[in-house]
Amino acid sequence: MTDGPLIVQSDKTLLLDVDHALSTECRRAIAPFAELERSPEHIHTYRLTNLGLWNARAAGHDAELVIDTLIKYSRYAVPHSLLVDIAETMSRYGRLRLEADPIHGLILVTTDTAVLEEVIRAKKIAPLLGVRIDNETIAVHASQRGQIKQSLLRLGWPAEDFAGYVDGQAHEIALKQDGWKIRQYQEHAAEGFWHGGSGVVVLPCGAGKTIVGAAAMAHAKATTLILVTNTIAARQWRDELLKRTTLNEDEIGEYSGAKKEIRPVTIATYQVMTKKKNGVYAHLDLFDTHDWGLIIYDEVHLLPAPIFRFTADIQSRRRLGLTATLVREDGMEGEVFSLIGPKRFDVPWKEIEAQGYIAPAECIEVRVNLTEAERLAYATAEPEERYRYCATTRTKRNVVEELVAHHAGEQILVIGQYIDQLDELSETLGVPVIKGDTPQKERERLYAAFRTGEITCLVVSKVANFSIDLPEATIAIQVSGAFGSRQEEAQRLGRILRPKSDGRSAKFYSVVSRDTIDQDFAQNRQRFLAEQGYSYRIIDADDVFQGKF
Amino acid sequence: MEIRSYADYLRTLDDAALIAMFTHRPDLVTPVPPDIASLAVRASSAPSLARAVDALNKWQLQVLEACAVLTEPFSDKELSAVTDKSAIFLLSGFIERGLIYQDKDGYRLPNTLREVLGNEVAGLGPASLAPLKLKRLEDAPPAAKKVLDAMLWGPPRGAISDIKKPTAGVQWLLDEKFLIPFNQQTVVLPREVAIYLRGNKVHRELEAVMPEIIGSPKNLKNVQLASIANITTFLRWTEEVLNYWSQEPATALKSGGLGVRELKELSLHLGVDENCAAFVAEVSYLAGLLTIDPDDKILPTHQFDLWLTQSAALRWQTLAATWLITSRMSGLVGKEGQKNTAPLGPELDRSLAASTRRIVLALLKESSDRAPELESLYKAAQWIAPSKRSGGLQQDYVAWTLREAEWLGITGQGQISQYGIEFLNGGDNSSIDADLPKAVNHILIQSDNTAIAPGPLEHEIAQELALIADVESRGGATVYRFSESTIRRGLDHGRTGEEIKKFLVIKSKTPMPQPLEYLIADVAKKHGKLRVGNTSSFIRCEDPALITQIIGDKRLEILSLRKIAPEVIICGHDAAEVMNILRSCGYLPAGEDSRGILLSGPRIQRAQTKARPPRIIGEIDVPDEIQIDGALRALRTGEKSSRKQSTMRNIATEALGSLPRTTANETLDLLVDYLQNQPSTSLSIGYADNNGLVSHRIIDPLKLSAGSLVARDHATGEVQTFRIARITGVAAL
Repeated sequence: MTDGPLIVQSDKTLLLDVDHALSTECRRAIAPFAELERSPEHIHTYRLTNLGLWNARAAGHDAELVIDTLIKYSRYAVPHSLLVDIAETMSRYGRLRLEADPIHGLILVTTDTAVLEEVIRAKKIAPLLGVRIDNETIAVHASQRGQIKQSLLRLGWPAEDFAGYVDGQAHEIALKQDGWKIRQYQEHAAEGFWHGGSGVVVLPCGAGKTIVGAAAMAHAKATTLILVTNTIAARQWRDELLKRTTLNEDEIGEYSGAKKEIRPVTIATYQVMTKKKNGVYAHLDLFDTHDWGLIIYDEVHLLPAPIFRFTADIQSRRRLGLTATLVREDGMEGEVFSLIGPKRFDVPWKEIEAQGYIAPAECIEVRVNLTEAERLAYATAEPEERYRYCATTRTKRNVVEELVAHHAGEQILVIGQYIDQLDELSETLGVPVIKGDTPQKERERLYAAFRTGEITCLVVSKVANFSIDLPEATIAIQVSGAFGSRQEEAQRLGRILRPKSDGRSAKFYSVVSRDTIDQDFAQNRQRFLAEQGYSYRIIDADDVFQGKF
Repeated sequence: MEIRSYADYLRTLDDAALIAMFTHRPDLVTPVPPDIASLAVRASSAPSLARAVDALNKWQLQVLEACAVLTEPFSDKELSAVTDKSAIFLLSGFIERGLIYQDKDGYRLPNTLREVLGNEVAGLGPASLAPLKLKRLEDAPPAAKKVLDAMLWGPPRGAISDIKKPTAGVQWLLDEKFLIPFNQQTVVLPREVAIYLRGNKVHRELEAVMPEIIGSPKNLKNVQLASIANITTFLRWTEEVLNYWSQEPATALKSGGLGVRELKELSLHLGVDENCAAFVAEVSYLAGLLTIDPDDKILPTHQFDLWLTQSAALRWQTLAATWLITSRMSGLVGKEGQKNTAPLGPELDRSLAASTRRIVLALLKESSDRAPELESLYKAAQWIAPSKRSGGLQQDYVAWTLREAEWLGITGQGQISQYGIEFLNGGDNSSIDADLPKAVNHILIQSDNTAIAPGPLEHEIAQELALIADVESRGGATVYRFSESTIRRGLDHGRTGEEIKKFLVIKSKTPMPQPLEYLIADVAKKHGKLRVGNTSSFIRCEDPALITQIIGDKRLEILSLRKIAPEVIICGHDAAEVMNILRSCGYLPAGEDSRGILLSGPRIQRAQTKARPPRIIGEIDVPDEIQIDGALRALRTGEKSSRKQSTMRNIATEALGSLPRTTANETLDLLVDYLQNQPSTSLSIGYADNNGLVSHRIIDPLKLSAGSLVARDHATGEVQTFRIARITGVAAL
């Protein structure tokens, strides 16, 4: 028995004691193959998953290293069966390789004939294959490169893709570091991606994913297609690229509902890409209009399913996924792995925060007592109406009012899901509201005003959840949220985690009705944040009214 | 004395020789044979010889086969000629075992031994009756040579199309008597020919030494670590399985054992494959930690609770020791073609299981500096136990034993560990306790509502924690998760919110996160707001004053009333009774049913039990003709048979006349008397067998115990037990 910082569990989770002297060293050692699942204050939980182990194999680590690391840092003896299992799982990766062959085009090569025999007999795989070339080799229809990778992953025999990438049409892009400097982890992320060929970089909101994208473009020096969630995000990318790179305005095009520009660097929205006209995707051609050298997917965890399908067809182009979290509410993590690529870079939020790039945030849950009448109304409400009811109670409005008054002078965002509630709040607080039907121009005007400090408080609906940049927001007040989505919570917290110029600490309030399903949902959402190392504080609405918080 | 038979030979043996023989062949003295003649019969019986042969290794078996091939009596020289010089050294061992014996002419085999060894020992046919000119074999034509080559190493029988129209080669061999016609389509190669052609040897290769066990040597420290990890894991699995079933008992199949679905659930719960889950369940079953109770529920026993309190080393030893001797092979579960073998079921017993296990473990111990490869270990095991009886040693069994030894932690990384060696040597294994991770007595609570025990938790803390949190992950450490439902479970078990909080604060090394505190407080606040219970009757009244009056009424104390609301009282007594008492105290209650309907009118009582009208007794009806006729015929038939019976009874009595008749008490007295005062007297008794048939026995009483008489029966010469109650009488001869 050693006295290491790591405890290996039989369900393949690894518990890392962060207070241990060797914890930093150990964290670095296990990071290549284990995925961080939770990082609360004392013990961080990592998980060994098949995807994670294959990610490690893809990065050139072998089973021996994994096993040695586990044995070296483990506090208790590691069950042999687990080690055997790891070795077996890892050995599955790379038995099959996709390669480019001068005669046959795309081929599937194996070092183990039995495996090849197994997979070519699989129902899902057979139609993707061409002629058998020899015992170890079989041709694959070139158009099925993505498909076959997906199917092989599902079978548990992930193929290594050595078929290479097209360079795309060259286009000079470089970083323009005047008055700012690329942060080290951003550079590592971009390099990690470039060496891997394709893959996903995981960085928290506000850690500068755009810059990682720009750095990747500077590596590729080729025409680039950037896919983002919405128009505002598209504009921000554009502004950011103009500021950070040598690109000029004429070189960057926007491809959205409003504009259809195709330039060497084109930024398109998911929405326009997935728009259907007469039952067919009308804008698919965009993928073929240019000989793209790089395709960047912003917020990869939100990538709509149709985009995956398109992505399967463009496997010969380099793909960079950017996201704050790999957790997908729809469980399509495997698709991200096989179609965009393995994870290339990942740092726990806390780590980046400790480096001083993200302002530390305080999470406070305000519990509101419903009045007797409200409780009765809640109890008798139809089940499907219940959440709406308890999330939009009158009492919450008072608390929000109080909170806004308390933080007068700071930049405040009030976030909610229900339009009626937001309208009411906007009226009560006397501040503008941004919701789905707010015209684009108006939205931009309001954002600009908020940024300059002209407006200090803004009520926003779901539309503000993604990809907007509100650098000076220091207070966020959540009054109602989607039904307990972890991902949304992370996004919202991301909003206010932006670096502050004066080092003030940001506050994240969520106002929750006590003893209702609102509270249950809040608990679910809060768990994700707690797992990321942010401890929650719970206070009573009464404390708010008495100013004790 | 001239030795004419095996029995004669045995009579010549001294005590030491007999002791040696009994040591090798314990079945010869269980039970003790009455005399040497019986011993000889038993020692030369096929089952006993087969046992003795089974205990031989490959080399011994080869030499014994060679002995069987030689014509009796044979000499050392003859034996070493057909085998090897070193074979002679084995002879003394065979003599010791009683497998061969010596008379003045040379060595002989007990007759049955040849049968036991098989018809065609070492692939050799019968001896030729006709004299053979073996030299002529050198001149055999090529066709005949081909035939000989095919039959040389056995089997000695060859199929031909028709004995009347043999091919040229066969014809030549038949002419020279080098082949014996067996039947229409078969010829046999005589033993002498085969031995001659084999170069005057019996076996193609003599395997005098055990094949080497190949394996890769492992780092001893890692072996120990892996072994201890396996031991801890196995103990945890066992505890896990039993705890799992104590909460949700599995139901055994009608045919016995654990169903496929239940096994799958178990393996999911443990996070291991089904083979391993089956093994864990089997070992717990063998160790008596769980049982299948009469209503087919699979449940932990009290033994489990005792087991839990023991030290890890003892716990492990209990499990490993039962595994060592069991004849059950849990590896059979899930094997292809073994659909019906369920763990804990009746079909897992295999006669070779225990011996295979013993051999494999001995080999592991022997090659303690490496992790043996299955193939080579199997070969070595086959050398040790070459017998082909009941299918011979199976590779599957060897593989399963290795797998199970690893699961149990006897081996680590496939190499036997010090714990394993100590265990096999019968040591006390206390070093396990010293090497196991120390139990921790604290937890770390984190703000994501988890608590982590960074090591094996002390039993009491673990039990308490299991009540108020769900285990999320197991292994070296345990991760517990708190949620509303787990806190509620704690409250259901009688803990209060405060108690839970206090317990956590004391046991946690880290401060209690506020959200958890809120969670506990929230649940505790809501818990028990609704109360559910059973009661027999209620008293309700819209006037709370009257209710208060009733509660305060001293005369009604016998009803032990309890006020549960200002207007409601409950009572454990029947409503009618309550009403009577209330009335007698001057109240005016009205009955109400559970739906609130007023029961007006006099209460008409009904019995709660089923109607049982009395039987009718009285004059018997006059029977009709058919009935009378039937009765008469029945009587006549009965009469006839009873006369026959009484005749038979007379015959029997005559026969028994010569038998002593005493009552059970007299019998006992007489026996005690004879045993104490005249120990070596033979007695005559009458003894009833299972069917009530009384027979006459002459016995030498040996002792009385537990209602039985142990005595040597002169008829069989064996020591037998007679039940006192069945002895019809005793008399001295």
